[in-house]
Amino acid sequence: MIVDCHAHWGMVWEERDHGNPSKFLEILDRHKIASTYLMGFLNLIRQDLSPQDNDTLANLAKQAPNRIFPLATTWPQLGEGAIREFIRCVEDLKVTGFKFHPWMQGFSLTDPTFAKICGLAGELQVPIFFHDGTPCYSLPEQIGALASRFPKTRFVLGHAGLLWTWRSAILAAQRKNVWICLCGPHARAIELICERVAPDRILWGSDWGPRFTDDIEYRLNLFLKTKVPSKLQELILGVNPMRLLDYS
Amino acid sequence: MSDVREPSGRRVTIDGYCTIGVDREFNLTESALLEAMDRAGVDWAVIAPTDRMFAVENREANESIRAASLRHRKRFIPSCSVNPWFGTAAVAELERALGEGARVFLLHPFVQGFLANDELIFPLLDLLQTRKIPVYIHTGQPGNSTPFQVVDLAERYPSVDFIIGHCGATDFWNDAIEAGSSAANIYLDASFSRPFHFARYIESLGKKKGIMGSAAPLNDLVFEWEQIRKYLPVETHDDLFGGNLLSLLEKEGSL
Repeated sequence: MIVDCHAHWGMVWEERDHGNPSKFLEILDRHKIASTYLMGFLNLIRQDLSPQDNDTLANLAKQAPNRIFPLATTWPQLGEGAIREFIRCVEDLKVTGFKFHPWMQGFSLTDPTFAKICGLAGELQVPIFFHDGTPCYSLPEQIGALASRFPKTRFVLGHAGLLWTWRSAILAAQRKNVWICLCGPHARAIELICERVAPDRILWGSDWGPRFTDDIEYRLNLFLKTKVPSKLQELILGVNPMRLLDYS
Repeated sequence: MSDVREPSGRRVTIDGYCTIGVDREFNLTESALLEAMDRAGVDWAVIAPTDRMFAVENREANESIRAASLRHRKRFIPSCSVNPWFGTAAVAELERALGEGARVFLLHPFVQGFLANDELIFPLLDLLQTRKIPVYIHTGQPGNSTPFQVVDLAERYPSVDFIIGHCGATDFWNDAIEAGSSAANIYLDASFSRPFHFARYIESLGKKKGIMGSAAPLNDLVFEWEQIRKYLPVETHDDLFGGNLLSLLEKEGSL
């Protein structure tokens, strides 16, 4: 089984398909991907339309239960409004988790409202995914420090440090509440991450969806053709994504 | 430009960036690189030093690359690099390496410890103005080496050809198209930029602006070539997969 832990419902999909995931799911079928963690895109660039995009993600998930796991977002700059939206997404929309893109959304990980969100995520048992690998707000060390402050919250390095900070991502992921998603580093870095990070906290993702181009072919085969042992590949692709949601 | 083709009519293919030697986490031997090139249908490869040898021991690295290219005259294209912090010694080593036949000059600002458009490298570029050697600069490391820092250099040195390594990947992908169109003497290297993104850049900039590089062994050479052939339209292949780089290399004379 393959779970893609990093995909986006891009604006192009919404403009064309108006909340209908069937064509999106066809691409997953083409690559034998059973399900996906689905992030927005509009909600990461438009604070005013963010709740609307969170609703869209939840509605997509309702149409494809167990295939689409929605990750909502909220904007810490809104203060208490951000907290209310966070709780609404968990309690009303039943989202799987949250995605934050601090450099695109423009907030520091030291933001006091964001600290409240991180604490709540631990209490409500929903993981937080990050865009990582980018200064000045999204470096693995910054996320690692956050993980130390909030040990009950699960944090996911959504890009495993990308191309240039994957070594930092390996260090950050030594914390037991930090997971790492293979979505960005080159092939050799992927192999080294798989050697050096706990095998039960590694995920894989494609980052496809912002456009109609099918990026999965490249991203999936990049991973499959590495020297990562096949047993570990199976864990990463199919078992760990479900473990992330299991707080028992 | 001379049109280097096999008897079959197929244009010679060139991998614009491969690293040989022992680094802390890989070891690509000459024979392994040749074997991968054969499997991928690649005729030539520009060979580059490991990270450690970008930073220090430049002469040893340049000599090692030259020796490998002499052993495989029809397969390897020698590059060279110097760390600009060595000052006048760096200029002297660059002059020596070019005299020994190096065909591409490489800079890795992140590993060598300077800003890509730092005046520290101007003496090196002053020398390169007198030659016809393209300059490949690794980019993508935030603040340290980005596409528009290379554009700045290209504007200062309009007679020097610059290759933007990795198209600014990852986070400077937004800049790739604008930077690529900013000056006539700028070219984009495909390695690490991912074929689906590189295809967009080429669609926008035209097939004369791109150069295929695999960045082996950090990437799998065979896989990268297989993928880029899938994602890029066939009518771009001759230029991207050898023609464009060959035209830059042959400004200095035939290979």
